[in-house]
Formats: sequence, structure tokens, C-alpha cells
Amino acid sequence: MVEISVTATFSDPPNTKSEEEADFYPNTMRKTKPGLKRLFLTLTVFISFLIALPFLLKSIEIYRAPLPFDDIDLLSTEMEKNHLMFPCQFQAVFVNFDDDITAVNELALLINSHMQKLTSENTPPCGTCGNNFTVAVTIDSNSSCIHCESGNGNGNGKWQCGVLNGYDKMNDHDENFDDYLESVLDSKSKRVYTVVVVNTKQEDVRVVVGKYRHAWMVGIDSVEKAVEKMAEIFIKVFVNAGKEEGSIRGEFMPIGADGKVVLSFSLLNSDPHDWIYDWDFKELDEILLAPIVDALRPVADISLESQVLYHTPKSSYSYWDDTRGSYIFSTKDLPFFVNSNEWHVDASTAAGGRSKVLHFVLYVPSAKECPLKLQLPNGEISMTNGFISPMWGGIIVWNPPACVENFQVQRLSRQKISSEDLKMISEVFMGQLRQLFGLKSESLYVGGFATSVLLTSEKGFAEWELDVLSRHHTCFNLLQCGTTLGSLSRLVQSLPRMIIMDEIGKQVKYSLEAAKLSFGNVSLGYSDASAVSSRKARALAEDAFYHPSMMSVSYYSFEHCFAVYSPFFLPVSLHVLLAVIREWKRYKVENRKYLAWRVKRESHVKSCR
Amino acid sequence: MFRLRSILVFLVLFKSFGSIIGEEEEKIEEFSEALLLRPLPDRKVLAHFHFESKVPPTATHGSHHHLFPKSIYQLVHKYRVQEMELSFTQGRWNYGRWGGYDPISSRNAKPPGVELWATFDVPQHQVDACWRNLTHALSGLFCASINFLESSTAYSAPKWSFKSFAANIRYGTLHREAVCTENLTPWLKLLPCRDKAGLSALMDRPSIYRGFYHSQRLHLVSNEFDLTAASSGMVLEQTLTVVLQPVTLGSGMVSSLGLIQQPSWSLSSLFGREVSGRCVLSNASNIYVQLEPNLVSELMTTSETQQQSDVENLMSQAWSDMSFEMSDSPVRLIEEVYGFQKESSLLYEFSLANYSDSRPFNLEFRWKRPVTWSSQLAPLQASRFLMGSGNERGAIAISLKSVGRSGYAESSVNQEGRCSLRVDVFQVVPWYVKVYYHTLKVFLDERLHNLADVIERINVSPSEDKVSPGLMEIALRLPCDVQLVILTLEFDKGFLHIDEYPPDANQGFDIPSALVRFPEIKTKIHLFEDKCVCKSPILSKLQEESPVLWYTEVLLVPLTTPDFSMPYNVITITCTVFALYFGSLLNALRRRIEEEERLLKSKDTNASGLIGMLLSKLSAKLRGKALEPPSLPLSSKVSYRLILRVILVAGIAAAWQYFFG
Repeated sequence: MVEISVTATFSDPPNTKSEEEADFYPNTMRKTKPGLKRLFLTLTVFISFLIALPFLLKSIEIYRAPLPFDDIDLLSTEMEKNHLMFPCQFQAVFVNFDDDITAVNELALLINSHMQKLTSENTPPCGTCGNNFTVAVTIDSNSSCIHCESGNGNGNGKWQCGVLNGYDKMNDHDENFDDYLESVLDSKSKRVYTVVVVNTKQEDVRVVVGKYRHAWMVGIDSVEKAVEKMAEIFIKVFVNAGKEEGSIRGEFMPIGADGKVVLSFSLLNSDPHDWIYDWDFKELDEILLAPIVDALRPVADISLESQVLYHTPKSSYSYWDDTRGSYIFSTKDLPFFVNSNEWHVDASTAAGGRSKVLHFVLYVPSAKECPLKLQLPNGEISMTNGFISPMWGGIIVWNPPACVENFQVQRLSRQKISSEDLKMISEVFMGQLRQLFGLKSESLYVGGFATSVLLTSEKGFAEWELDVLSRHHTCFNLLQCGTTLGSLSRLVQSLPRMIIMDEIGKQVKYSLEAAKLSFGNVSLGYSDASAVSSRKARALAEDAFYHPSMMSVSYYSFEHCFAVYSPFFLPVSLHVLLAVIREWKRYKVENRKYLAWRVKRESHVKSCR
Repeated sequence: MFRLRSILVFLVLFKSFGSIIGEEEEKIEEFSEALLLRPLPDRKVLAHFHFESKVPPTATHGSHHHLFPKSIYQLVHKYRVQEMELSFTQGRWNYGRWGGYDPISSRNAKPPGVELWATFDVPQHQVDACWRNLTHALSGLFCASINFLESSTAYSAPKWSFKSFAANIRYGTLHREAVCTENLTPWLKLLPCRDKAGLSALMDRPSIYRGFYHSQRLHLVSNEFDLTAASSGMVLEQTLTVVLQPVTLGSGMVSSLGLIQQPSWSLSSLFGREVSGRCVLSNASNIYVQLEPNLVSELMTTSETQQQSDVENLMSQAWSDMSFEMSDSPVRLIEEVYGFQKESSLLYEFSLANYSDSRPFNLEFRWKRPVTWSSQLAPLQASRFLMGSGNERGAIAISLKSVGRSGYAESSVNQEGRCSLRVDVFQVVPWYVKVYYHTLKVFLDERLHNLADVIERINVSPSEDKVSPGLMEIALRLPCDVQLVILTLEFDKGFLHIDEYPPDANQGFDIPSALVRFPEIKTKIHLFEDKCVCKSPILSKLQEESPVLWYTEVLLVPLTTPDFSMPYNVITITCTVFALYFGSLLNALRRRIEEEERLLKSKDTNASGLIGMLLSKLSAKLRGKALEPPSLPLSSKVSYRLILRVILVAGIAAAWQYFFG
């Protein structure tokens, strides 16, 4: 419309202003103001596009459940820094120390400082008490009974004075004394670790660690030495279970995320043409292994299964040694001993997806490599003739009796492994199981201050060992949970266009909550509850990590998005942009023209005057 | 000599003592192996491996075994499987040539690919969950994609036509599953000796996969959970059936009489290996050579005409008088006793007990004169084909053709004295083939017949889109003298969602094999029960009655396949149209027509501008005159701006690449 009026002014020049007319150049001037209508229109379209852009981006956004990355980082750093310290309660009891002891409080402090020294030697591994312990001291003598507690001990499991009066059989039957002490202390319900020092008129000092949560020392000893030994038993035995650095680390607990362990026993007859051995697994199961399964129930839910396999040669090499009269395989051959092509010691189908399967293999060598013996690095022959592979299981080589006799007679008939042999084998298996759980299987603990006798439980695991396992299990679960969630968060952050389902977000959230709960329970000293919640945390973390939607290629690429939307938005946006630019330019040009004309006219008016 | 005899006496005593012990404690785990070889009429040889593991029930024997595979035991207990059969098959059993009436063909002829069926001892509502878990477990166990049977579109629940009196049964097939060594190795792992010793050592992979038919089967029966009946534990039967072509050497294929000489074969020529002794864990380890009834009667007639000797020759193994000879003399000859009929098969038994590494067993079977015979066939020959054309609709036809034998009459006479034959047809159809079951037509001898007269029983469960396949079970009662029966069903071809097409959609879609079953015609090998023959599990298995079965061909239905790039094309074209519309609308709104016209006019007069310049250039070129160069500063300015723009665009592109690439 503006143009029409402009052209109208051009087409109809007023005759009266002929001088003005002479100064008017249509290329550089115009008499009317340039219109804003088209500029406004194009700008409206452009701006509406700009406004709609966020909505579009929002609509094509892929769904990502918000994950608490900060909390995950916090958890993993906390686990790395090893802040998980379980509170422990210790009790020291001195019996018949009438004269030597004066100040009970000082004694408690002395024990405490010795223990601090032992723990500060190296950074405490996960699943120990660290410095988070309390020590109670009781002096029980004929005349007096003094009790003292450091820290905030709650008088739990306080020693009843005088119970050992007249009990003088402590050297004869360790087992009996152990049971007697247990009946006195009742550590099962109280969870207090106790060391009893009994002053008798004896020359040699005997240190015995019982099956429950206590140890005792018998003999003449100065109080200082007794305190040193005591601290060592507390820290090295009760807390660390006699583990040293370099042995299997406590972080590797062969327990599945669902708290289940399947012990899969396999009897391998390497060549049934020579002989076929069979075992009475029912006997092994019911008599020898059932107590262990029972004992470990607080730590893990164990199930057993067995199979007999045939034609299973080992894949490593052994050589004949004349002096020993046997075939020898050395520790260097162990990595190649397991013949994964022929040993079909399969994972169990009965076990759920997360159960840990530990294989225990009894290998019966064939006639041409019999007897087969394991040579240790120091040149000696192994007593057990077996070895373990951490997190996989254990292997025992059992040389059949037919091997030294004339085996031709017994060919091709199925023979049973005698029950004595089976007992021996089950003991070795039990030792291997203990080792797989990170415990030692010797009956002596040689420390820096004293050598103590460890009483063996018929259940395979002593109470204090189970405590250690339970603590390690909790720690291992939390560590696993932390690393799993950490890698999940790294993965999610590295793939910005990966779809994350709500369910994963929920699982991560619950896992973190369970981990937090477990931390809380640990600091409060509820070890069973913390084990349960740590297990839950780990299971949820693994659920989230192995969620089917994560496993599938759920990557909605940017290229795809671009390919879908560009055919419309590319040409349209070009149109709009060009229109805006053109209109804007034109408006500027026309406006300049108008201004030029106005200047001209004003100067003309002035000149007219 | 005396010493030898004493050893023999000792052996006999020992054996009898052993057998007494065996009878006393009858509930022990057992494993046995057997191989049955049978010359086929079309110059091929059937080899049928049979392995059987038995385990007494858990209640009396406990859950620890020394022979029975642990994985199968756990599978049965976890999913409460009552009976299960899994078969991996390559190739199609040639019913016409290799026979359709003997126990081996009715049990071991399977549809190509994987077939799995199972019955469960669980309440009705848990059956599907058990089935799904079972398919996953088997998939892992056998390295096959059995887990695809998990989806409810892939399996069905036949009521009576697949297996009589079976509740809680689920049935599924995967016909495209390629069968190879990776399925055989886990199958062999279930055997105590695997393929290290015994008969399974014969399974040289290239030889057995070169065959014309290969079916590896696992059949499991357990009544562990049956509390009422005396439980017999679990029986795991593993069979491998292969049809091999013996390597023939030189000429001699055609004899002087013009008859085709059957190829001679040996174990080493069939399998490329010899048997080096039995699997020491097996109770029985035998090889059988079976001569079919028709072959036996043929041999008898030829020997009658030529040598005037009788079946005695066969019995007495007087090889010189016979049409064939074998390199080793059999331990035993088992003759089928079959009423008064002349046709009966012969079984030669060879025991592997006395062979070892140093003395391997290599049976040779040599034909001395040409013999021709044909196998026993099923009463009706079934085949199935598609009718119609186009991508819209079609029809399935199942034809049953009589083989012209009346030997089956005695088992199928009804009350009125009229001879009749019952035929069950079991057909599963995937949901995208929409069958109209009301269009079922039955033609008897090319005449349309009333359905009610022919069909004794029918059960149809129509397919549900993307949920369940269609299932049809028909029991037909046919007169014995019928020559040709044709069943037709019309169907529409459905459309699938673009995501549901398999990668090779243009190949077409399969309709699983239909199963034609003759429930009244049972087949078995008739042997004397009292002869202690039943000791061998393969023989007792062959003596069990089983109905004659016939799996038809797999049909290939071409469905309309979309152009899979279509969504992008549609998006592109729609967007282009929209963009064009939008652009022109915007243009129309902001154009100044009169001003443009005026400008055009003024431009005409000036003849300037880029186009004008080009035009003048062109005209100058045409006229052959040199053009006076246009004003230099203008052009340099233009090119400068152009370069700037190009640089800007390149910079944006580089930045884009840097930040988003």
C-alpha cells in the first residue's frame, strides 16, 4: 500500500512545486515514510519460529531418568577411602593377678595404645575395626573384682568374677574349657571378644584361641607381656583372622549378589578304561559338608550338587621322578591343569543368574600318570595334593590305591572311594573352601609376640571367623555396589543420547538408599542388618547395570533426528531468514531515502524563506 | 586248553553272579548305547544311534548321580518337566523311499529345524511360565535359538491330535534353525563318554553332516513328581538318525542284468572311522544291522529261485549262498515274529564287548548280487501345497494319497463292519496367515464331500493378531478304499508392522509342517518277549507301539514386503511439499508486485545488473566483439563479499564439525 501511495506521488507531480521537483531524485529519495507492515509480518514469523524452537527440541528430546551422579560419586569415593569401620568390643580379663595390678584404667589405656600401634602399622583393609573399638578390663582376683570400660561400652557381656575359681583343668582339655568359657561369657548373643589371662604357677605360657569369640592365656607372665599378646590376639586374630598382606584380599568374597553360593563337586575319572571310581556323595554331603553349610548360613546360602565325569584328562604335563616313585607336576603347571575343553564342570542350571558357583574337583589320574603328585616351589611334595584357584574353586588330585597295586585285576569295575579317603578329601575340600573365603587353614597362629593354638570347630568355621567373613562380605558388597554404580554413571555420562528408563533410575536410587542404610547399620554395629542391606544394594546396582534396556542398542542418534527434521526445517528456515534480512535491508534503505527527502525539503523550505 | 576252559568257566560264573547282583539291586543308574544300521532301497544307509540313560527316582536314590547328566536332572526339577522332546533336524525324511511305517521313521522323522514339545507337572496357569523358562534354559544348553519359542506367537497347545491324553502340553517349532556341530557338541556332553569312546566316537562331524538327513533328538520321560504311581525315575533317550550315501568305488553299479547294484559299505566308509571298543560305562553296547521286511522277502524269493534254500540260509549265516555278506559274524540273529505274515524283518546283533583300541571293529556289508526292494510305506502319503496367486489371498491344501495297500485293514474296522481309517491332522499356522476355518473343504476322490460325514472330531483355535498362532486339529474318518483325500483351507495374507519383518523378509514366511497321524495304526517290531531280547534298550524301544506319523513339507508363503526405506521417503516428500507451500505463502505475503514491475521497467532501460551484464556479455560473445569491461570497483566489491560469504559458511561448517562431529 505504501508503494501505491509512493507511486501516486510520483505519477502525479504537483505543478506548483516545480523547483522542488527539480531537486527530487527518485533513486535516492522518497516522500513518504516506508511501511512497516511486511517487516512486521516477516519478523512475526521469524520470532514465532524462534519461540517454537525450544518446544520442538523438548519434544524430540530422548527420555533420560535423572540419576544421582553426585551421590554415586560420593559412595565410590567413600568406598575407595575405606571409611567402613565396624565397631568392635573387646574385653580383657585378668585372673589371679592380685599383686601386680594397681590401676585398672592405666591397663585399659595400655592395651588400647598397643592395639592402636598394631592397627596403624598399615592402613586397615576394608571390613576391619580400624580404630573404632572399645576395651573393657576386668581384674578378677580372690579378694577383689574391678571392672573398667573405656569409651562408651555398655557393660555388655561383663565378666562375672570368681567363675574360674577352682577350675584347674584348663590345660588338659582345651575343648572343654572353651565350652565352659562360652557358657560363662555367652558371646553368641553379646558379640564381645574376650581374652582371659589366668595366672597359674606354670612355666610355659599357652595361648589358645577358642571356637567362639574368646581366647585364653595360661601361665606366669608379666602384665606388660600379657598386654602385648592380648593386643595381638585382638587385632591380628579376632579382627583380621590371621591374614597377612599378600594373601587373597578380603574384597574377593566368592558369594553371589543374591547371597547364594553353589558348591559344585565333580569327580573326574581321567580315563575310565583304567579304572572307574565312584563316591558316595550322599555320605560326603550329609555327614561332612552339612555342618559347614549350616555354619555358613549367616554369611551365605549354600547349596550343593555333584556329578561324575569321565574321559577328562588334564591338559598340563607331568614327568616321572624315579626317586619319589611318582609323576610330578609342579606349581608352574597349575594354570594349565584345568582342561576347559574336556572338563565340563558346567555352571549349574538350578542356580539363579547371580549365584556364585564354586567348583570342587576331585581328579583321579589315569594309569599312565599315576601316582600324580604336586611339587611345591620349595621342592617338597604337597601334603594335600591339591590347589585352589581364587573365585573358581579347588582341585584335589587323588591317587587311587589301585595305582600302586596291580591294577589289571580291578579293571573295568566300578569302585567306591573308601570312606576314610572320602573323609580326608572332605577335609582338604573344607580347607580349600576356607582359603577361598580368605581364611587360613592352619591350627597355629604365629604372631610377633606369641604362638597361639587355634581350636578347630567341627563346623569348619569358628564364630570369630564367621564374624570376619560377614564383615568382609558387607564390605565387598558395598565396594562392588560402588564400582558398579560408578561405571554406570560413567557410561551414562559418556553417551548423552542414550535412553535411560525410569526403572533404572529407581533401582539406582534404591541401591544408594540401601548402601546408605548399610553404612548406618555398620556404624551402629548391627552387622547382620548391614550385611542384608549391603547385599540388597549390590543386587540393585547390578540390576540397574544389566537392565535389558541398557544392554540393547538404545542409542537414538543425532544423525537420525537431523535426517527426519531437516527436509522441512532447512528450506523453511532459509525462507524465513532471507525474508527477514531482505525486509530489514529494504526498510533501512527506504528509511534513508525518506530522511534524505525530508532534509532536502526542510533545506528547501528554509531557502524559500 | 584246559586253562582257557577254566577261564571261560570262571567268566560264565562271574557273569551269572553279576547278573544275580544286578537283579537284586535293580534300581541303579543305567546307560546303554546302540547303533542300528539299515540299508535303504535308494542306495543309502540309515544309521540310528541310540543312547539311553535311566535313573531311579530321587525319593529312593537321592539327587547325586554318577551317570545321568546333572544339567538335565536340574532342568527337570526346576521346571517340573514330565516329558519333553527336542529335535534338531536337517533335511527332510523321504517317506516315499526310506519308509514311513517302521518305528524308526515314525519316531525319528522330524520336521526340519528345531521341534520342541514338553508336558509339565504344574497347575494350568503356570504352564506358560514354565515353558518360557524351559526354552531359555534349553537355548543356553544347546547353543540354539530355542528361546525364540518363548513368544506366545511361536508355540501352541494341542489338545489331542499331537499326542493322545496329554495335558499341559506345549508345542513349538523353529524351521529356519540351522543345525550344526555347535548343537551336537552339547548334546554329546550329556553322554558319559561323550565322543571319546564307544559308538559316539563314530560321529565324525564332516561325515554325519554330509548326509541326506540328520536328526538329533533328545527325549526325556520323568515321573518324578507322580506320587501315586510307583515312580520309575527318569529316562533320557538320545538318538541321532542320519541317512548317508556310501562311497562307491569304481563301476559295478549296474549289473549284467541291468539291475542297479546296491553299494557295499563299511563303518569306516560311512563314517570315516572305526569303533575302538565300547564305552566302558555302558551296560550294553551293540551294533545292529536291520534288514527290512520287504528286503527279507525279496531275498527269500531270490534264494528260492536260485539256490532252493530257504530262510535257513539267512539264519545259519551261510554267507556263500546269500545275496550279501558281512565281514563279522553276528553274535545273534533276531527274527521278527509277526503273526502269520511272511514279511518280517531281521536283526543281526554285534557286540562291541570284545573290541578295543588294538582291535577296532569295522563291520563290512557287501552285496553280491543286485537286489531291489521298497520300504514299507504309511497307508496314506501326505503332502501339502499352496494354491492361489497374488499377495492378497491363497489356500492351503493337504493331500493324502493312498499307497494302494490294504494291509492295514485289520486295525480299523468299525462296528458296522465297514473298513475305515482314522487320520488326525495337526496344523499350526502363524497369525499373519489368516486362515478362514469355515472354508475347510474335504474332497474324497476329487468329489466334494460333506464335512460332517468325514470329520469325526475337530478342534480349532483361531489365531489372534500378534498374540497366538492358529491351531487346527481334525480327526478324519475315511473309508479304506479311498484313493485321494484333499483338504483345502483359504486364507488371507496379513500385514506386519515394519518392525516385525525379519531381515530377509523377501524370502517369504514359513508355515510349519502339518502333522498327519494315524492313531489306529501302530507300528512296532514284534519280537519274542521271553527271549531276554528286551534287555537291550533299543530293542525294547522298538518294541513299544507307536502310531504312524507323517510330517508334511514346510510351506513358504510370500507376503507383501514393504520398501523398508519408505518412512524416510514419506518424511522427505511431505516435508518438501510443506516447505514449498510455506515458502510460497511467505513470498506472496511480502512481495511488492508493482514496485518490482517498475524496477523491471527501469532495469530494462538501464540494462544493468548482473543478469543484464550476463546478457550483454552473451550477446557480445555472439556478435564476436570484445566487451568493454564493466566498472572494476563494483566487481571487486562483489567478489570480495562473495569470498567473505564462502569463508563464513566454511567457518560455520568447520565449527559444526568441531563441536558436534
